Amino acid sequence: MIWQFDLPILTLIVICGAFAILVKDLLGSAIIFGAYSFLMCLLWTEMGAVDVAFTEAAVGAGVSTVLFFAAVHRTSREVRSRKSGRKLYKGLGLLASGILGGILFYASGDFPGWADPASPAATHLSPHFITRTIAETSVPNIVTSVLADYRGFDTMFETAVVFTAGLAVLILLRIGGCRTAGPVWQTAAAIRPAYGDSIIRFVTRQLTPFIQLFALYVVAHGHHSPGGGFQGGVILGASFILLAISYDLNMAMNRINEKAALLLANSGLLLYAGIGLLCLLLGANFLDYSILQRILPGVDGVAARSHAMLGVEIGVAVTVMAIVMLIYNNLVSNGTYEKGL
Amino acid sequence: MIDPGQLPILIVIIPLFGAFAVSLAGCCLSKRWCLPLTVLALAGSGWAAFATLNQVIARGPISYRLGGWPPPMGIEYVIDHLNGLVLVVITVVALLAAISSKRSVEVEMPNRINLYYPLYLLLVTGLLGMTITGDAFNLYVLLEISALTTYALIAVGRVRALHAGFNYLILGTIGASLYLLGTGHLYIMTGSLNMADLAVILPDLYSSPAVLVGFILIMVGIWTKMAFFPLHTWLPNSYTYAPDATSCLIAPLMTKVSVYIMLRVMFSLFTPAYVFDHLTVAAPIVWLATAAIIAGSLLALAQKDFKKMLTYLIVAEVGYMVGGAWLANRYGITGAILHIINDALMTLCLFLAAAAIIHKIGGRKLQDLKGIFHRMPLTMAAFMVGALSMIGVPPTAGFFSKWYLILGGIQAGHWEFVAALLFSSLVNAVLFFRIVEIGFFEKPENGEIAEAPLSMLVPLLLAAASLIVVGIYSGDIVTTVIRHAVPEGI
Repeated sequence: MIWQFDLPILTLIVICGAFAILVKDLLGSAIIFGAYSFLMCLLWTEMGAVDVAFTEAAVGAGVSTVLFFAAVHRTSREVRSRKSGRKLYKGLGLLASGILGGILFYASGDFPGWADPASPAATHLSPHFITRTIAETSVPNIVTSVLADYRGFDTMFETAVVFTAGLAVLILLRIGGCRTAGPVWQTAAAIRPAYGDSIIRFVTRQLTPFIQLFALYVVAHGHHSPGGGFQGGVILGASFILLAISYDLNMAMNRINEKAALLLANSGLLLYAGIGLLCLLLGANFLDYSILQRILPGVDGVAARSHAMLGVEIGVAVTVMAIVMLIYNNLVSNGTYEKGL
Repeated sequence: MIDPGQLPILIVIIPLFGAFAVSLAGCCLSKRWCLPLTVLALAGSGWAAFATLNQVIARGPISYRLGGWPPPMGIEYVIDHLNGLVLVVITVVALLAAISSKRSVEVEMPNRINLYYPLYLLLVTGLLGMTITGDAFNLYVLLEISALTTYALIAVGRVRALHAGFNYLILGTIGASLYLLGTGHLYIMTGSLNMADLAVILPDLYSSPAVLVGFILIMVGIWTKMAFFPLHTWLPNSYTYAPDATSCLIAPLMTKVSVYIMLRVMFSLFTPAYVFDHLTVAAPIVWLATAAIIAGSLLALAQKDFKKMLTYLIVAEVGYMVGGAWLANRYGITGAILHIINDALMTLCLFLAAAAIIHKIGGRKLQDLKGIFHRMPLTMAAFMVGALSMIGVPPTAGFFSKWYLILGGIQAGHWEFVAALLFSSLVNAVLFFRIVEIGFFEKPENGEIAEAPLSMLVPLLLAAASLIVVGIYSGDIVTTVIRHAVPEGI
């Protein structure tokens, strides 16, 4: 713990948290919340949890801020609250938060010290992961091997959570339900000229391929460095959102339309679960990748685990990308896909 | 043929793959395929659940290692008598509710069928996954899935459903966060997430304040999710304004699965010795349960909308089960476990009947029920079976669990709990007699028989029949299954 570093960050986090609630302008609140996420990201990095920091940067500070913007854009910037009984509710809420804070504070006195090597979290399971990961999975990034293999079943359902969120937004917002019959979306609608800034458009257009290339790198290189399916998928999705913002919604939807996004979302998660099922069909337990050595030429059980992990990370990335786009498109256009930000 | 060792995972992944199949079929083929595929997936999952329970009864608890990793390194599924039974109940209820949902979904959201059924299956996946897992964090992940799907399935209802669903979203998220926070506390103190492993490590730490706080946070989180009085405020509106098909699924299952999780945390993560002897909170919690029963019953009495009336009964029933579990004796816990099954089935029966009635007459007010017995005799016959079970009349299932709960209350000396149980029976009798009075004795405007469609009637009659069958065989259920589910040393 470097206190000169932590103290200002923690102070700023508290300030940001308080102001995100107190500010009356919701757009301002969303921006403050983005700053809050960025500070959290610094804190994670300082703790050595670089993968978490990466996710926080991509999801917390990046995409969710844009989603807040889209939601505020479609609803209202002001906070309107009911007058009656307001004081009572506020008092009760404050009381509940106070009690919760109190007991959390009480418990924290019992915690092991910061980064204590003798703490239970550092001595119970971690030594196994640290010493055995290479031998058991041949993946140098321990976080990836825990995420995609040791606890790969959790990660499959975390991806399912993302998938569920996308379906939930669709069922609630999409006007008249989802289009499934006929041509999926009007093809090649002309990019509306004469509004927007040509400099922004030019820069976005030049930047998009690089962003997407970086996203693919993040997915593929998750075995060796921080990153993986979630982060890469979010960055891919964000590149399309960037197009949608700098041009308009049609521009992005002509690249990947609603039906394609739904298909991608399904197939990504299906890839993950399908790899698990394949293991089952080959006679091992669900998600026991080592059995895949039977069908992968020239690899042993350990290398099979590493390859399968790449497969599931790609599945995660595809689903996350498609769902991030679906959620943004529906939020920003109120489910009509007619006009973006 | 399928290796019997793989049955536990099939229970969960059949509905998961079913969700993809339904979603892709709705996207690429036709919406006609959505419901049949849903029913097929649930039937497959139900078959696996039954087969697994049989294995547990024959050979004792089963452990399944996901990814082939030994626990506590990897995630483990543990099926014992308690969750084996709950898994069967979940699949049966979900299957009957799915068949019954055909007409009401077609009427209420014709455009959204291809999104509704994947979410439905994901919700069932979530509930099954929460029940079957032996890992405290895996439980949270599945909790998120079931919660997210529920918010969507509730809010897709009529206008007020959006607001009710939003309220539920806020409170449900708080509940889930508290559970996560509690699990985090346990992880900091032990370094493990596996329930069996935690149960080994925790006894040395029982004096630690952090473990205590972890236990409190998990309990309050689960109570919020199960709508335990006074944390119940989100439930009545969200269950009332949800589409009928959704209410038929979530009203019987969500609260019951939460009760199961509470039992699991109390007896598998912690021990009865810690929960009842080390902490001295059992008595106040039974009092709180008493308050839940009385408040739920009285609020049900005040309703003019019969679907809302049923939702307040759920609040009272949650009080039964929480109270029974915290009576800290064998009768009480047996009653609580038996009541998980019985209450799931009788709530299913009543909500299926309500859905059929609302589908036919289009209203939810008690006054709309005039002459309903003459117009929908079969539906009302099934409804009355559910009602008798709710009141606790033998040989319906409701009687037997209430009997165990009363015995437990007497043994523990919690007379207020016994009184509340009897009071709630009385109130239920009044409530349902009121419906008989309106529906049977008041003359209908047109007396022709207009029975509910077969797709609603058949699941409803099956649910009503199951109440009587479970009632008659409840002695066997207790001796072959529940006896082993009650923790030792009580």
